[in-house]
Amino acid sequence: MELTRLNRNVKFLNWAAFITISIALLIVFFYAPTERTMGNVQRIFYFHVGAAWVGAVAFFVALVAGINYLRRPTKKWDTTAVASVEIGLVFLTMAIVAGSVWGKPAWNTWWEWSPRLTTITIAWLTYAAYFMLRGALEDEEKRGRFSAVYVIVAFVTIIISYLSIRILRDIHPVVIGGTAESAQGASEGLQEFSAGLESTRMIISLNASVIAFSFLYAAWLANRIRLQRLMDEARLLKMRVSARLQGEG
Amino acid sequence: MIEQTKNSTFTIRRSTFLSSVWAIVWKDLQIEKHTRQIISVMIMFSLVTVIMFNFALEANLAAARQVATGLLWATILLAGTLGLNRSLGIERENQTIEAILMAPIERSAIYLGKVISTTLFTLILEAVLVLLFLVFFNKPFWRPQVLLILFLGTVGYIAAGVLITSMTIQTRTREVLLPVLLLPLSLPLVLPASMAVASYMFPQLPTWGEVQSMIMLIIIYDLLMLSIGFVTYHYIVES
Repeated sequence: MELTRLNRNVKFLNWAAFITISIALLIVFFYAPTERTMGNVQRIFYFHVGAAWVGAVAFFVALVAGINYLRRPTKKWDTTAVASVEIGLVFLTMAIVAGSVWGKPAWNTWWEWSPRLTTITIAWLTYAAYFMLRGALEDEEKRGRFSAVYVIVAFVTIIISYLSIRILRDIHPVVIGGTAESAQGASEGLQEFSAGLESTRMIISLNASVIAFSFLYAAWLANRIRLQRLMDEARLLKMRVSARLQGEG
Repeated sequence: MIEQTKNSTFTIRRSTFLSSVWAIVWKDLQIEKHTRQIISVMIMFSLVTVIMFNFALEANLAAARQVATGLLWATILLAGTLGLNRSLGIERENQTIEAILMAPIERSAIYLGKVISTTLFTLILEAVLVLLFLVFFNKPFWRPQVLLILFLGTVGYIAAGVLITSMTIQTRTREVLLPVLLLPLSLPLVLPASMAVASYMFPQLPTWGEVQSMIMLIIIYDLLMLSIGFVTYHYIVES
């Protein structure tokens, strides 16, 4: 019953997310410099990278939760994995939509079947299928086990996607952990990253937005896990009530 | 003395492991030899698919030639889901899986055996498909490098496939669920694989540097899938 009220951690995370996101919004719109060639539309960059970053983190958390579930099958890890995949999908969708909106002015097309975009679409599909698998399994214990294995397998798409964009040629720049060569490709889109005060301000804005998105992810995760617990509890209560009624009738 | 005992138990364990893998493969081959249901269904299905593709692209044979490698992989994937469903469905239908699980062999040996036997079936299918594509599209599909890429790709696809099929076969929706789960999962493999095959379709052979990265991706995928399947398979077949 202690679940009916927001516990302190959830409340703290909610506020932290609200405040950091507000600050990040201010930074992105007022502090970050206007990009020379692309103009204001480049501000999408901060949301795009922030969302994509959280997507990757969320799927990694799901992977860890899956491995933990297999080692010790407790409800906690299953709930964490579901919550994280769900949130990861939302953030990945946000990153794709933001990227598409940005791609229109930058590449003059909404969509391009380059390795980066293709592999990320594949990852999206793979994780969407996770819910199909869960929906098809009734037995709770089996569902936990199978979806834990699936979430581990699905992470292969993330690994291959990470590798392929660094190995294959692509129109999309590599921001995090890229090689010198791909950074050169990135410079077409973000030339100011390499020089002077402008680039420092951009890097600060990027970091602020990544941190804000991370807090948003943590808050959503905490809320989602709490919701799942409430749902489980409600189902348990329903079962008890119906058992009671049947006993009387 | 202790060292020796350890060593000998290790050898015994290794040999029983390999022999149980072999027993599974042998059993599947025997069943297939008598019933011929997996390979024949896969070949018939891919024949229909290839002819259907030809209808769809009839107006433009040049375009068909351009996309031939993609078609080849698409056909293998689709026929592969049929083969996987059949190969693991047989075990469920006849309850042989219960018997296999009761036997004192490791679960990873069952996995490996299933991967090997299903890969063999798919390779036979691919031999037929390569001939068909040679006739229909007149492209050098017979090159040993192409065959090697086909082999590597098939191993990864089936490694993921056996794992996923073992799960989906136990769900409510059974066969229907497999393509939804497996096809997206195998796309990161098929993408570099079909790119690599495509680069061998010209009269002039590509240099190693041009295909190296794609082949590396295929091998990484294979290794990842095989090791995940190897480690996690017993969580799936346990009831």
